[in-house]
Amino acid sequence: MADPDVLSSAYPAAASSSVRKHPAPLDDSLAASSDGGPSFAKRPKAATEPPTPGGSAASPEVDVLALVSLTAGIYPLARAEALRGLSEVVERADASCSVGSGIVECSYECAVELMRDEDEGVRLAVVRLVGACAQKFSARVDADANGYGDLMDIIFLQLSFMARDMCTQVRIEAFSALGKMQQVSEGVLLQSLSKKVIKTDTMCGSIINGQKLPPKLKIPCAAGVFSHGIEDEFYQVRTVACQSLGALAKFSKQYAEKALDLLMDMMNDDTRAVRLQTLQALFQMATYGCLSVQEKHMHMFLGLLVDTSALIRDAARKILGLVTLPKLQMFKSAVDGLVTSLEKNPEEQDLYGILFSIGKNHGSFSANIAKHLAKEITMASDGELILDKPRVKALLIVSISAPFSNDKHKKLDIPSAIFSHAISLLGKVSCALGDVNQDLLLSYLCHKSGMPFWENRSISAEFGESESCSVQTMEIGAHIENTAKATKCVDEAIVMQSMKAILETVEGAWTMRMSCNICEVRTILRTCKEELNVLAESSSGSIGAFLSFLCEYLDATQLIIEIWQLIQLDNSYTFGLTSVEILLEKLDISIRRMECCFVGLNRELEVQVLELSLIAHLFRLSNIGVCKVVLGKLLQVINRLEGLSADGSYELSGLSGEIKKAFDDNLTGVNLISNIHTLFELFRLKPTTDFGMLKAIRAVLQVSDNDSENPSSYVSGLPVGVSFNIFLWNISSHHKLWIRMTIGESVQFTFLDFSCFGCNDDMKSGSMVAPLYATPMVCSFVLRVCLVMECPYGGNSTHWGGHGGPSDCVVQLSDELDVYFVSTWQS
Amino acid sequence: MSIECLLLGAGQEVGKSCVVATIGGKRIMFDCGMHMGYHDHRHYPDFARALALWGAPDFTTAISCVVITHFHLDHIGALPYFTEVCGYDGPIYMTYPTKALAPFMLEDYRKVTMDRRGEEEQYSYEDILRCMKKVIPLDLKQTVHVDKDLVIRAYYAGHVLGAAMIYAKVGDAAMVYTGDYNMTPDRHLGAAQIDHLKLDLLITESTYAKTIRDSRHAREREFLKAVHKCVSGGGKVLIPTFALGRAQELCMLLDDYWERMSLKVPIYFSAGLTIQANMYYKMLIGWTSQKIKDSHAVHNPFDFKHVCHFERSFINNPGPCVLFATPGMISGGFSLEAFKKWAPSEKNLITLPGYCVAGTVGHKLMSGKPTRINLDKDTHIDVRCQIHQLAFSPHTDSKGIMDLIEFLSPKHVILVHGEKPQMAFLKERIESELGMPCYYPGNNESVSIPTTKNLKMSATERFITSCAAEQGKRRGHKGNLVCGASVSEVIGSSEDMDVAEGILLMNKQKAPKILCDDELAEVLGMERHLVQFEPMVSRIEAAVQSELQRAKAADSGSEGNE
Repeated sequence: MADPDVLSSAYPAAASSSVRKHPAPLDDSLAASSDGGPSFAKRPKAATEPPTPGGSAASPEVDVLALVSLTAGIYPLARAEALRGLSEVVERADASCSVGSGIVECSYECAVELMRDEDEGVRLAVVRLVGACAQKFSARVDADANGYGDLMDIIFLQLSFMARDMCTQVRIEAFSALGKMQQVSEGVLLQSLSKKVIKTDTMCGSIINGQKLPPKLKIPCAAGVFSHGIEDEFYQVRTVACQSLGALAKFSKQYAEKALDLLMDMMNDDTRAVRLQTLQALFQMATYGCLSVQEKHMHMFLGLLVDTSALIRDAARKILGLVTLPKLQMFKSAVDGLVTSLEKNPEEQDLYGILFSIGKNHGSFSANIAKHLAKEITMASDGELILDKPRVKALLIVSISAPFSNDKHKKLDIPSAIFSHAISLLGKVSCALGDVNQDLLLSYLCHKSGMPFWENRSISAEFGESESCSVQTMEIGAHIENTAKATKCVDEAIVMQSMKAILETVEGAWTMRMSCNICEVRTILRTCKEELNVLAESSSGSIGAFLSFLCEYLDATQLIIEIWQLIQLDNSYTFGLTSVEILLEKLDISIRRMECCFVGLNRELEVQVLELSLIAHLFRLSNIGVCKVVLGKLLQVINRLEGLSADGSYELSGLSGEIKKAFDDNLTGVNLISNIHTLFELFRLKPTTDFGMLKAIRAVLQVSDNDSENPSSYVSGLPVGVSFNIFLWNISSHHKLWIRMTIGESVQFTFLDFSCFGCNDDMKSGSMVAPLYATPMVCSFVLRVCLVMECPYGGNSTHWGGHGGPSDCVVQLSDELDVYFVSTWQS
Repeated sequence: MSIECLLLGAGQEVGKSCVVATIGGKRIMFDCGMHMGYHDHRHYPDFARALALWGAPDFTTAISCVVITHFHLDHIGALPYFTEVCGYDGPIYMTYPTKALAPFMLEDYRKVTMDRRGEEEQYSYEDILRCMKKVIPLDLKQTVHVDKDLVIRAYYAGHVLGAAMIYAKVGDAAMVYTGDYNMTPDRHLGAAQIDHLKLDLLITESTYAKTIRDSRHAREREFLKAVHKCVSGGGKVLIPTFALGRAQELCMLLDDYWERMSLKVPIYFSAGLTIQANMYYKMLIGWTSQKIKDSHAVHNPFDFKHVCHFERSFINNPGPCVLFATPGMISGGFSLEAFKKWAPSEKNLITLPGYCVAGTVGHKLMSGKPTRINLDKDTHIDVRCQIHQLAFSPHTDSKGIMDLIEFLSPKHVILVHGEKPQMAFLKERIESELGMPCYYPGNNESVSIPTTKNLKMSATERFITSCAAEQGKRRGHKGNLVCGASVSEVIGSSEDMDVAEGILLMNKQKAPKILCDDELAEVLGMERHLVQFEPMVSRIEAAVQSELQRAKAADSGSEGNE
């Protein structure tokens, strides 16, 4: 029941009340602070403005003040919005200065007051705000650890209380905030695992990490928040709970042990996402070295190794590769488990890497395995032992990993027979080790097995124990990630290499154009294009964009060659639509696509495109004779090229130089046409491989619920709406997109307003309903739909002028779709 | 105004839940259950006595409505008796699943008791049907206006399919009766879910007032281990359960495990009732847990793959099997029959539900390790089989009760449906940790809870303006953000900052109004009160401090105090 005049009368009052205070003498807290000066200086300015939320960015105190007073309002949406505003301010606040910490404290107090708000949205915002405040608090805790240690505990308990909320969203948010907490005392952490309230008086004496425990658990609800979390009805909550459970493990050993028990139970969860997250949490614990696997857990791990899901298997293996197992028996069962997994899924070769690292982590255990294996090998000397058996392969890898282990104090002698057998597994070993020079590895293995090797260098010094011995657990985690990155790099390098090879072929083919059979050139170009297409499909990012650019480029090249052939055959002027005309149009489209559909063309690429368009214009001149319009365009291109070379770092190519000269001499197009042979000779095909940050503009258009079996219905003669799902890549707001709808000859353009589309990095997506105004008076028809983009510059062919469609020439962005319609009104 | 709460059952005991709450002249009966442990007059709540107490001619005029929380007999068992024998003819509310499943429960029990004792039949099958016809079904979170003043709403309670917590409100007085509920989800039901409500009274069950249960995962693991061990040793497993709820959950668990371990041992359901119940579960997917709701389109989890057709004669078959039999506490029926047959063999396993009413075979088995059970004078059973106590329970534990109370933060709490010593313990905790007055009355006792009454009043513009100004200032003070308040202001940094000063003007003819000090001069002889100020500007709902001296105000218009 908002009373407008009450509101209006109240606001100035609130403002004036804050105004009144500004010029007043400094409070103790600010007077004591060193940087009271600047904030004080801001005051008068703030005082002249009403405290509108988000208005005066210069003085966050005023914002905070206004927001805090709004959080006490009676409308839940307003309260929630105010809290969100506060979180924004807090996130930007610099907690180290006194003003910043004042803001954080004030916001935190405000949030705590609303913790039990009736509205879910408000509680959600409270959790976010408390989480943000906690992060700010922990950032400055080092200043006086004792004072804030308790505060962090209290925040942890408050968040725990929120994690028992009835609203799923609040729970999710609370658990994720809990996972980000720091400097929480061990007692509080342990309490979060146990529903039973741990008697605090027994722990009062123990001061852990110099922090005192909170005197009493004031919120009984906060106990055992994680045991509630992992039992939650919603898998989203369980997932976050598992994640936070693992994330906190690095702070306390005792906590980690108990958390492991809880996490182990989660392996039986009925949702795979939760199981995966659990494994992820365990992996994180293992990377921080706080995962101590015990015998009772082994059963679960071994079960996971033969899980039906490849993802789970993979995650379980990764963890095994990091943990330290206390007993030989457990080590053996782990290796056996891995072997079984390998036998069941022989295609999963990364297992060898895991075997190697698990062997390396347990030097003496793997030495033990090596001894047994050596015995087995010698016993079965008559060829019974088949190296192909996955078991033997696996054990060999484990055995040769032993010398790399950290157990320096023990002398681990691995029988040389092991090494000689391992030579046959060279590829797998080098794979397991990551990127290691195979020659080096081979020489190492030969050296160890006592075989003569062609290169008798002192191998051990260069490669071997010394190199990888000091690898810490943390580094292994990093190494695994690095390897993943490396493989991506390798992929890119391979693509670049094959791309270069293709381009060389293309250049070779270009030089052949004069002498050889045109057909052969065409075939070469076509094959190159196919190869590029294959590469383009498997790559993404800039390289993918560049590959599709190159495909377009080759298209244009092929067209040029074909047109050239036609021109050579028949150099007489022809009128009407000839095949040359069609090819020229195609060339134009191709060039236009290169110009418009890529963002971030660098200069080389742009020059390439411009030269192609020079050639295209020349051809057009030679085809239709002297024409002002074409000449004008030619001049535009030349000017652009000149502009690009203006800074002197690049010289005009022979072709463009020649044409420029022709223009400078102020000649008409006639001599250009007559000179076309010489000019064409001058044209060099020089595809560059430097693509910079190229991005491809793409679009996908979908029509929901429509195919030939399931047509949409319409009433003939009346407009009908067609609903589209649209996905746009790398489109920015200055691009003008249209939906082109064609029925037979008639075309309708609908402007696409994508400002309200959901945006996600480079991709925008959304759905819209486009009306088709003039449906034909037939009982069924097929509408052809595609997305087109207006070219920002270039052509002045106004094909669609009268229809209110795009004014300039357009580029088709998406594939053409067929939409099927059936009339509902049938007589 | 107050809430008068009369316990007709489930006071310091488990069984025959029946609470009548009187709010502002409206009488609501929550649940109408029977006690399974007694077969005399204590079987049903003492309705006649209550009627005499109220001094009403009949039940229909005395009671505004009856609300049933779920279909367990200790919550619904006396309903046909109450409507058909006692003659109550007012509205009866229950959720859709409860309405669907209740007749089966009632009829099953009626038959069992008739078979066993030939006890005088209190109501007939026709009575049940007639009674169910009067029921008005409720949906979750649906607000029902029973009459002009009384509003009720149901919230999801977990516990069993269709279980609900009931929110009732008359005027400003509001309360929640939880019925039985579960704060942790299980295999097939979700956790209880309720909004943040402003409550004067919360009546909660307290079956596990003292117990804190460990995680569900461990419970499941142990149950599966015990069953697997037994059947792999060639033994038979008897699982006495209620037909609805536990049976489905355990069966889902076993079915899943059988699938994973590829076991071939048959699983049986003894009664047609359970099979019928499974059908209802398949239909009432909307009331189950999130997981089932998400996945039932692909595979309905109540289509058990490993459950086989059962004949009564199978009880004598050799070889291992798993049998679900009713009733849960082995108080009779087929579960007792199977128990008689299988108890003497060491190989077999009997699982016991988490809770058994005193006097049943289940209770005897639970208390100590009896080797011989006397059914009646001439029947004895030797018990040599293994016994596994199921820790599964659809009731929330003490942690869950505390969590719910803390979440709802009512002004008063009444505990029902529990055992006296444990309730006393929980009462202590609630009063000391949460600071709420808590009661646990016995049967036929009543408790009166004072309620708050909100009074709507207008305020003068000046008052609001000055309050808002003060408020803005105080907020700033708290965080040390705004520094240096001018000293002349009266409002300091005292504790009770949210109190604003003003004058409340009450007149019989006019709506109450709040003024500023200095506005008093305009109107003579005004009464001064301390008012609670709802922050922000647009609406002021002041709570009048304790005794409104209405009488005096009526006499002389007003009178100044403080």
